[in-house]
Amino acid sequence: MTSVSACRELVVEYGHGDGRVRALDHVSLDVAPGERLALRGRSGSGKTTLLHALGGLVEPTGGEVELEGRPLATLDEEARRRMRATRIAYVFQGANLLPTFTGFENVAFAIRAAASPDAPTDPLMLLGLVGLAGKAEHLPGEMSGGERQRVALARALGQHPGLLLCDEPTGQLDSDTGARILDLIDALQREFGFALVTATHDEDVAARHDRVVELEEGRVVRESA
Amino acid sequence: MTFAALAFANLLRTPGRTIVRVVVLAAAVALVGAMILFIGHSLRTMTSSSVRSVPLDWQAPVASRPAAERAALAVSKQHGVLDALPVATAPFAGAIHVKPGTGIFRSASGSILAVPETYTQNIHTIRFLRGSLRPGQVVLDQQLAATLQAQPGDLVSFTAKAGRRPVRLRVSGISVVSAGDILFQPLNPLLGPAPAQPPVETAVMTVGTFAQKLAPQLPTIASSSGLPGIPGSVPGTQWQVQAQVDPAQLTGGPAQALRQATGLRNRIQSSLPGQVNFVDNLSESLNTATGDALYAETLYIMLALPGALIALGLAYLAALGTVERDRRELSLLRARGASRRGLVALAGIESLFVGIVAGILGSGIALLALRLVHVGRGPLTLWRVVATVGGCVVLAVLGAAAARLGAGAAALRGEVAEGRRPQRPRRPLWQKLYLDVAALAVSGLVYWLTARTGFSAVVNPDSNPTLSLSIYMFLAPALLWLGAALLLVRLRGALLETVARRVTGGRARTLSGLLLASAGRRSAAINRGLLLVGLLLAFGVNLGVFASTYDQQARVDAQLTLGADIVASAPAEALKAHALEQKIAHVQGVAGTTALDHSYAYVGPDLQDTFGVNASTVTSGTTLRDSYFIGGTANHLLAELRAHRDGILVSKETVTDYSLNIGDLLKLRVLDHATGRLRVTPFHVVGIVQEFPSAPRDSFMVTNLDYLLSVTHDPGPNVVFAKTHGDAAAVAKRVGAVARPAGASVKDITTQTAQTVSSITTVDMSGIAKIEEAFVVILAAAAMALFVVLGLAERKHEFATMASIGSSVREISAFLWSEVAIVLAGGLALAALLGWLLAEMLVAMLQHVFDPPPDHLAAPWLFLVGLAVAAVLGALLTTVAAGLRLRRLPLGEILREQ
Ligand SMILES: Nc1ncnc2c1ncn2[C@@H]1O[C@H](COP(=O)(O)OP(=O)(O)OP(=O)(O)O)[C@@H](O)[C@H]1O
Ligand SMILES: [Mg+2]
Repeated sequence: MTSVSACRELVVEYGHGDGRVRALDHVSLDVAPGERLALRGRSGSGKTTLLHALGGLVEPTGGEVELEGRPLATLDEEARRRMRATRIAYVFQGANLLPTFTGFENVAFAIRAAASPDAPTDPLMLLGLVGLAGKAEHLPGEMSGGERQRVALARALGQHPGLLLCDEPTGQLDSDTGARILDLIDALQREFGFALVTATHDEDVAARHDRVVELEEGRVVRESA
Repeated sequence: MTFAALAFANLLRTPGRTIVRVVVLAAAVALVGAMILFIGHSLRTMTSSSVRSVPLDWQAPVASRPAAERAALAVSKQHGVLDALPVATAPFAGAIHVKPGTGIFRSASGSILAVPETYTQNIHTIRFLRGSLRPGQVVLDQQLAATLQAQPGDLVSFTAKAGRRPVRLRVSGISVVSAGDILFQPLNPLLGPAPAQPPVETAVMTVGTFAQKLAPQLPTIASSSGLPGIPGSVPGTQWQVQAQVDPAQLTGGPAQALRQATGLRNRIQSSLPGQVNFVDNLSESLNTATGDALYAETLYIMLALPGALIALGLAYLAALGTVERDRRELSLLRARGASRRGLVALAGIESLFVGIVAGILGSGIALLALRLVHVGRGPLTLWRVVATVGGCVVLAVLGAAAARLGAGAAALRGEVAEGRRPQRPRRPLWQKLYLDVAALAVSGLVYWLTARTGFSAVVNPDSNPTLSLSIYMFLAPALLWLGAALLLVRLRGALLETVARRVTGGRARTLSGLLLASAGRRSAAINRGLLLVGLLLAFGVNLGVFASTYDQQARVDAQLTLGADIVASAPAEALKAHALEQKIAHVQGVAGTTALDHSYAYVGPDLQDTFGVNASTVTSGTTLRDSYFIGGTANHLLAELRAHRDGILVSKETVTDYSLNIGDLLKLRVLDHATGRLRVTPFHVVGIVQEFPSAPRDSFMVTNLDYLLSVTHDPGPNVVFAKTHGDAAAVAKRVGAVARPAGASVKDITTQTAQTVSSITTVDMSGIAKIEEAFVVILAAAAMALFVVLGLAERKHEFATMASIGSSVREISAFLWSEVAIVLAGGLALAALLGWLLAEMLVAMLQHVFDPPPDHLAAPWLFLVGLAVAAVLGALLTTVAAGLRLRRLPLGEILREQ
């Protein structure tokens, strides 16, 4: 069975000349369908970079990234777009909602972009799943951090992804709210069956996953099941 | 790192943005700089044309010839005086010319001007057509020469006073006395200048000849008496000192020149106590010019200031691009323990750098622009250049600081409010007081009031085209600007927001719905763009429409005053002998000609100007507007003239005074040159004329040339009107080459406008209008580009998020260009409405500056279309460029910024 996402000997460097920083140093990783993987590491260890690389948001300096068995480098612009729209979804630390759209419209926007036959088409239903049907017409600026994360989740579901990449999804939340968001992610994962990769520096968060990969200075130093 | 080094590094880090800030600011400063330079230049032009328009600066009445000679000598030695001469004016009872073999020609009473032989060197009240002034001989004015049928060499007898022995003098030349109204005015220093009806017949001779031959027969007028200004009623000799001020002494604008001239006069009068007391024609003219200058200044400022303020708004928009950096810097500085004050200092130093560069660049552009418009005129002294550069730099630094700190403050507010429920900002005081609505209301009220009084705040009873204009009328457009701008700020795109909310209800799903929803929520930002672009374009429309209407009207006005593009006048004999009309018609550049006879006739006791025209050709030589006539179009009334050989068009006053109706018989007394006597001639009234090219404003008549000549026995017409293709001055040169040898004087509309009495129409607006129009076109493109660039910068994160969700570049750019389209459409609509309204107001206020008043606005379509195209192109190109940039957005880098 092919992995949802994988990388081989992945190297990502930022900047040039003296200011050159190697954020990822020969990282190899496989994410199986439906798998729940945690990326753990200290700040600056390269977690975000790895998530971005898996989703094709940064160009690798070296190595290869594959999505469902196809090397990203071989995909053209439109294929990449389709991939972003339908196969991969992100939930970031600060939710990254579109500020000029209501919760409803944020979800609707993702549904529209994905336009996938399997995807749910009703933003309200998705908002209902995350318990926010009542705030469909609120703008992100009018929501709490937890609410925003939930809208982000609903939006991600709207893309009907095979892979959900979460970057410190609870980083800005108090532990209670954080726990509830994680529970929600777990529940949704069970229901929709997407693979989940969560970047976190928190051991407890990492412990909720099937597998934990530890990063240090851009290198995978440990893997534990 | 010091603040200065940090600021410098900041500017260098984003070179593109720094260049945009410098360029926009430089354009703003250049606009102001060019305006100030232009105003200074215009004011000096007004001074010099006002000074030039006075043929005779000062006249001091004195009691006798020796007193005149003594005082003239003393005055001429004074510093600042170009020349001072003893002169006499006197009446004569009649003149006779016995022309052997032809007959005896007599003239009615007239006036004598006695001057030194060197008189015409510095004083330009008379001009010789033929011959010159010689002791013991006489020079006849053109009209007197025609009446007497006299040529140089002929002998003419003058009777000083009825019953006295006539004095025989040989004619040594023919002249034109061009300033009779001033030369022969009653001299009363206490009352000041009072130009009087000039005598019809004038003779000029030397002071010596006059004193020896005619003065003994006439009484002398005491220097202090104030005589009534009735022509021909002067009972005796008026000795006087005539002086001309050195024009180099009069510098600066009319107000300054007026102070200098008055100061000079007072100094001379007090240094020669009791000897001279001047009637000051110069100050009178400068006084009028001063009022006009104030009006002109206000007009220019009205035209330019909004442009400069809008340009400053653009600088603010450009500085808004630094908001992101400000946020980062603020946290950086905080981390280092610095404070907001540090950020302000940083912004200040940065503005200093930007301001200095923009100021130097802007003043350079301004100086260059003015050079382009006024090649060779109004030399730029070193001092003026230094002052301009200095002023521009100061202005640019202030502007840069205001824009930068304003934008910085927005960043700080944003920092605080980020992630929070958008709070309704506290309404500023002007909003609570509804100052915007009040401004619009007062603007409308002022406009209505001035419109009701026919825009003539001060009616000048004088028939001279002097103007006393009220500045408060400018409140209307000024308040309209202010009110419209504030109202737009208040609305902050409320309309767009409401529409978007109504249509989408917060639940948009389709792309168009999402676009509308997004635009509705960004209505404040869109409105900011709309405000700047709309006001800028409105400024452009206002400027363009006003300037071209002004241009059109100035031309119409000048044409009505002068008569045609080119006017050649000569005694009828000369015109006929040299076949001048035909010759002029063949000059290259002349489009058409018509000849007419300008003479005089009595309606009852009033002497009126009478124009004998060829009704079939008159419109090929000049332009007749329908508004010149009452009771029919120009064509209609010309057809009436053609249909009735003895038809005549008379003024409204004549119609009322003599209770005439169309078709009535009107008997005039016209001068028959065959007999030298007035002869009663029947005419039939065919219509009413209010204005006619070259006619004075008061009563005059227009009739058929053939009929008039058949009764006056004049040899032919004495004036030729010519229409030209292109530059009238150039064609006039060629016409002059043909006509001057025949003794004709040639005037053209271009030169004439430049010399028209101090009116603000003296000032050629087209130059500055061109400069400003160029600025506006550039700024319009820049404003749209800025709006796009700023939108992209502000929404980079948003667009990257969209891309990460899988939105296509086409869809993402739709969010950019839909806003651009709203701003463009809204801006153009606002410009059309507001710009037109403003132009309408400004032009309406010029109603009494122009004669006739403009009946419609002139639209400079080429410029208006160019302006719109510039805005559209600016938007289009940057949107396309932004689309390319979206394709290469470093998504990972942007999205990691929270
Ligand atoms: N645009 C950039 N230019 C230069 N270096 C960068 C850039 N982006 C990231 N880095 C560096 O790359 C390394 C990895 O960063 P990354 O954000 O992936 O770490 P992280 O594990 O997500 O950290 P955190 O837990 O703080 O989010 C860091 O050392 C960071 O400083
Ligand atoms: Mg990270």
